[in-house]
Amino acid sequence: MEQTKYLVVGSSHAALEAVTAIRMHDPDGSLTLLTRDPHLPYSPTVLPYVVSGRSAPDAIFLRDEKFFARQKVQLKRGTALKALHAERNAAELADGSEIAYEKILLATGAAPAIPPIPGLDQVSYHVLRTLDDATKLNAAIKNSKQAVVLGAGLVGMHAAENLVKAGASVTIVEMAKQLTDGYFDAIAAGLIEKAFTDNGARILTGSRVVKLAPSSTGATLTLENGTTLEADLLLVATGVKPNMEYLAGSRVEHDRGILVSDTMQTSVANVWSAGDCAQAKGFYTDAKIMNAILPDATEQGRIAGMAMAEDPGLKKYPGGVPLNTYHFFGRHAISVGSSKVPEGGEMVTRFDEATGRYLKAIFSADNRLTGIYGVNEFFDGGVMCQLILRRIDLSPVKERFLANPLAVGRELMSKTWR
Amino acid sequence: MTTATLETPIQAKPAKQKVMLVEGNEAAALGVALARPDMVAVYPITPQSSLVEHVAKLIADGKMDADIVDAEGEHSVLSVLQGGALAGARTYTATCGPGLAFMFEPYFRTSGMRLPIVMSIVTRDGITPQSVWGGHQDAMTVREVGWVQVYCETVQEVLDTTIMAFKIAEHHDVMLPVNICLDGNYLSYGTSRVELPNQEDVDAFMGAKDVNWHVALDPLRPMAVDPLTGGSGGKGPSTFVRYRKGQCKGMQNSLRVIEEIHEEWAQRFGRRFAPLVEEYRLDGADYAIMTLGSMTGAAKDAIDEARDAGRKVGLIKIKTFSPFPIDALLKSFAKIQALGVVDRSVGFRWNCGPMYQETMGVLYRLGRHIPSMSFIGGLAGADITVGHFHRVIEATEKLLSNPAPIEPVWLNEKD
Amino acid sequence: MGMFGGAYNTIAFDANKCDGCGDCMTACATAKTGTVDQSRSRIQIVGSEAEGFELALCRQCADPKCVTVCPAAALTKNYANGVIDWNADKCVDCLLCTVGCAYAGIALDAGTGHVAKCDTCDGAPACVPACPHDALTYVTTSRIYNEVGDWEDLFAPGLAGCQGCNTELLMRHTLRRVGPETVLATPPGCVPGMGSVGFNGTTGTKIPVFHPLLTNTAAMLAGVKRQYKRVGRDVTALAIAGDGGASDVGFQSLSGAAERNEQILFMVVDNEGYMNTGMQRSSCTPYGAWTSTTPIGKGPGNIPSQGKTQDAKNLPLIMVNHRCEYVATASTAYMEDLYDKLDKAIQASKRGFAYLHVYSPCTTGWRFPTDQNMEVARKAVETNFVMLWEYNPTDGLHFTKPVDDPLPVTEYLKAMGRFRHLSPDQISHIQGKVVENLAFVKQMAHREAV
Repeated sequence: MEQTKYLVVGSSHAALEAVTAIRMHDPDGSLTLLTRDPHLPYSPTVLPYVVSGRSAPDAIFLRDEKFFARQKVQLKRGTALKALHAERNAAELADGSEIAYEKILLATGAAPAIPPIPGLDQVSYHVLRTLDDATKLNAAIKNSKQAVVLGAGLVGMHAAENLVKAGASVTIVEMAKQLTDGYFDAIAAGLIEKAFTDNGARILTGSRVVKLAPSSTGATLTLENGTTLEADLLLVATGVKPNMEYLAGSRVEHDRGILVSDTMQTSVANVWSAGDCAQAKGFYTDAKIMNAILPDATEQGRIAGMAMAEDPGLKKYPGGVPLNTYHFFGRHAISVGSSKVPEGGEMVTRFDEATGRYLKAIFSADNRLTGIYGVNEFFDGGVMCQLILRRIDLSPVKERFLANPLAVGRELMSKTWR
Repeated sequence: MTTATLETPIQAKPAKQKVMLVEGNEAAALGVALARPDMVAVYPITPQSSLVEHVAKLIADGKMDADIVDAEGEHSVLSVLQGGALAGARTYTATCGPGLAFMFEPYFRTSGMRLPIVMSIVTRDGITPQSVWGGHQDAMTVREVGWVQVYCETVQEVLDTTIMAFKIAEHHDVMLPVNICLDGNYLSYGTSRVELPNQEDVDAFMGAKDVNWHVALDPLRPMAVDPLTGGSGGKGPSTFVRYRKGQCKGMQNSLRVIEEIHEEWAQRFGRRFAPLVEEYRLDGADYAIMTLGSMTGAAKDAIDEARDAGRKVGLIKIKTFSPFPIDALLKSFAKIQALGVVDRSVGFRWNCGPMYQETMGVLYRLGRHIPSMSFIGGLAGADITVGHFHRVIEATEKLLSNPAPIEPVWLNEKD
Repeated sequence: MGMFGGAYNTIAFDANKCDGCGDCMTACATAKTGTVDQSRSRIQIVGSEAEGFELALCRQCADPKCVTVCPAAALTKNYANGVIDWNADKCVDCLLCTVGCAYAGIALDAGTGHVAKCDTCDGAPACVPACPHDALTYVTTSRIYNEVGDWEDLFAPGLAGCQGCNTELLMRHTLRRVGPETVLATPPGCVPGMGSVGFNGTTGTKIPVFHPLLTNTAAMLAGVKRQYKRVGRDVTALAIAGDGGASDVGFQSLSGAAERNEQILFMVVDNEGYMNTGMQRSSCTPYGAWTSTTPIGKGPGNIPSQGKTQDAKNLPLIMVNHRCEYVATASTAYMEDLYDKLDKAIQASKRGFAYLHVYSPCTTGWRFPTDQNMEVARKAVETNFVMLWEYNPTDGLHFTKPVDDPLPVTEYLKAMGRFRHLSPDQISHIQGKVVENLAFVKQMAHREAV
């Protein structure tokens, strides 16, 4: 049986950071990276840009073969993990072969969640999670006249914008009352919605598709209120679910994702998990949450790798802080932290309808920043994140901070953690 | 150990040697040249100056292939040679009196590093009173520092011993620095006929040079030379004792090596010198006088006259003063009933000559008491004449019937 | 080089010198955007007169977070020059890098709609020369550390030096630079005290090392060198000596070896006293300094004892008067300068006597906190208390770090305890000597080379 000291399953941000962390402390221990994707590592986050044509499919890879050779990593592409036999430290692959490991990282990410809508299995539709999905969608966009996007999360919104720009008539159907629910608040969502409708898209929030059927152009969608939509291109972007089917029969505890400690260790010895498939504690609450965002995946991957290599420099995971950036029709939206106003805390908003500049800042009762949101209001997301993580007391500068979070944030950075 | 005496016939037929008329300092320089040192360091001082001048001229004339370092003082002279020796050089210098005093710090250290440096001391009396003339006070003052010290009687012996000194110093059982002591004024400037050994014969005698096999400053053999050693605990005390005891062992080994090398010299070059102790007309003597260095010539004349006059007196001359040749002396002392010791320097602590002081320790080992006394003469260039030695003989003879006086006799006190 | 490459040149910022004029931002905006719009500068000065000015600028991190969070592989750490390169063709304007960076080193340029970051202008940053107050400097010492990193450390790991002493730095760097074909002399003092020669049969270096007498370092080393020269071996003869052994009791052999132009590299680590043996006065101790043999007290006859009553001997200038192949002064606060001089001294020592005098603050003996060694060393230069120059017989003497606008000498004196007792008269004496010494060295510097 093939044997390896470290087995990393997955090839996106969490997995790659884990490789880096392992190699920083253990330059020589055998390391195998397993991915079911046939391609070199890439980020799911870049795929909307492959769809739009902005990114060339061959220019998005995060590492090349040389990197793996240099770091003495055995790369196994197109090889899925079928089952984890943690009780005997073995990973069973799709072809039935096994790899014996000393330590394994499950960074298998997530896959599109397909809603149980009657008739969906009868029609042809797109999803967007892999590079192959993206190249297919990129080809389809060019021929689409009437597109429907199910789901107004960031993946759906990115694709919708691309379809609009490609000249299609686009309808976005979203169950929630607003776009980008969970990422941005109502005012920001309103700004986003306006940008889309100004560019000709049709937004149907609070809507649910109840039935699909094949049609001559592609598919006919029936909404809850009886309205029907024709689609020659249907994109299902209603969210993702972690890839963890291979856990069946193992004793690795999982909930919505794989449950991990603050060093990314699962409930079973020698098994770690990080990234979109992991469910780790949140920054604001000890409850374990899904925080499937790129920066968190890198953070978790780094911690997992350090833990696996027994790097004494390991620091515990501080908890996931939501962080999102969204670029739409030339505008930017950034969200850092929680939108929930803590008890005794305060939410301050500033909105200039003329320019579309919007700022929302949320403070705890003792004047610590807990969240900050902006549309066309520029501040350094990374600096804001540190203000939150470090629980910096903003009492002395609160007014100035609200007036100019960019400059005051930098000032605080320079004085505090430079 | 060789059992040859001065009278033992020399078997070998040495090659014909060039005959020259030279002063002692030049004889020393010629000996140095024949020994082929790599490095000489020089600083002039009376009465050594002509010695280093001769060396410099030999090098300047291409008759000697050595790096000459005109150092800024004796302290650096010996220091340069220490560095050279640690890098593998055969080294030589000469000094005396105040120069030796100034050199004392590195001098003190040379034997501890077991560096086979050869240095002539053209002996000079100590200051103060200010003096530039001969006497053994300088060499005697540093006799307790671990250098081998040999004293020459004649200009020829200076030449021959200078060559032998390198071989003694570099002998693996010795590895210690050697002083060749030649009396300032008397030997340094005394001109005499000498036979000059052939270079190829000296080369054959010397053999291969191997100076820093035991301690080196060499990137090919990196080591720390002379790290701090000793202290009150750990392996410090035993390490230090090992080094010190090794030095003492090297000194004792040198007694045998000096004898062997003198015998080899005799066989190769046809000239035999008593290596440690010379007995002169001691057989049949009731008592003896004891000498060191160039004074011995006058003493031998006095002995001859005294013997002719019926006195049963003999002579014991020390050549190797450090290490002190205890066993050889015991053999000589076994033959006599009284001893007078003539020193050319002063031992301040015992109010006697230093050689006498050393001798008293040997006499204690003799196992029977023989009376002895100290004579001090020839200080600061003063002559010890045959007449002086007759006084010595007479005074020593009286010891046979009278107890030995405590006070030393100062030979030149009324000159 | 490891996972993250070596050391790199970098833009350094001294907040104490910045007055917020913004000239750097204008220069950057001009160079990078063709405008004078400071908001588009990639170097951002923030803060105020009252609060002090601070800097937001890409630090070109070794382990850059912006790179790890970029989904488009548009940011990469360039291991050749250390710069984090931004690839416009790959960037998708997602701004995740701005979320990743905790230092506001990469931000949106509203003028282009893309992120922008410092690229050090290909190693000639426009902001640095634009700063009128020298608050920005482009530090290019990385070359040294990268090269040195590949050389063997010839000093033993671990040593017995005082905390905060810079002599370990000097030892390790010097030995690495001279390499294994070297014989090292370390006369009694801090250098062997730190363990270079070892104890009881051990050694502290991987090269041959010895403990000369305090008095004969140059002479012994001359002997070693001469013999290797005689047998045709190229061996560097290096002394690392203290100021006491060089300027006082060892001066005769030093002067003699210099006069004979022995092929030696003689480095003096000048900590201005016999620090290893308990901080006694040497002839290099400066006027007014406390030492254990120039202590402070009420003195006899009501004339207080106030430290050393004589000025320091200027040993490097004395060495210049030997017309050595090379003489220089150096400071560990200016490593690039020191390395340059070390290189020249090594070369000169192949021709004749090379003398390198390194000013070396002593945290224990001078009484300053252990983390202040470089600061004290720097202040000595910035006040002209010591001067950094070099000399060779062909080019004469010239300053390598001229200080035209020196700080008052009190800025140096107050940095340490050994001058705490100084009276105003003593301080003015010292300031006067600084001026006099400067004038003296300047006069030598102005002389035409022969």
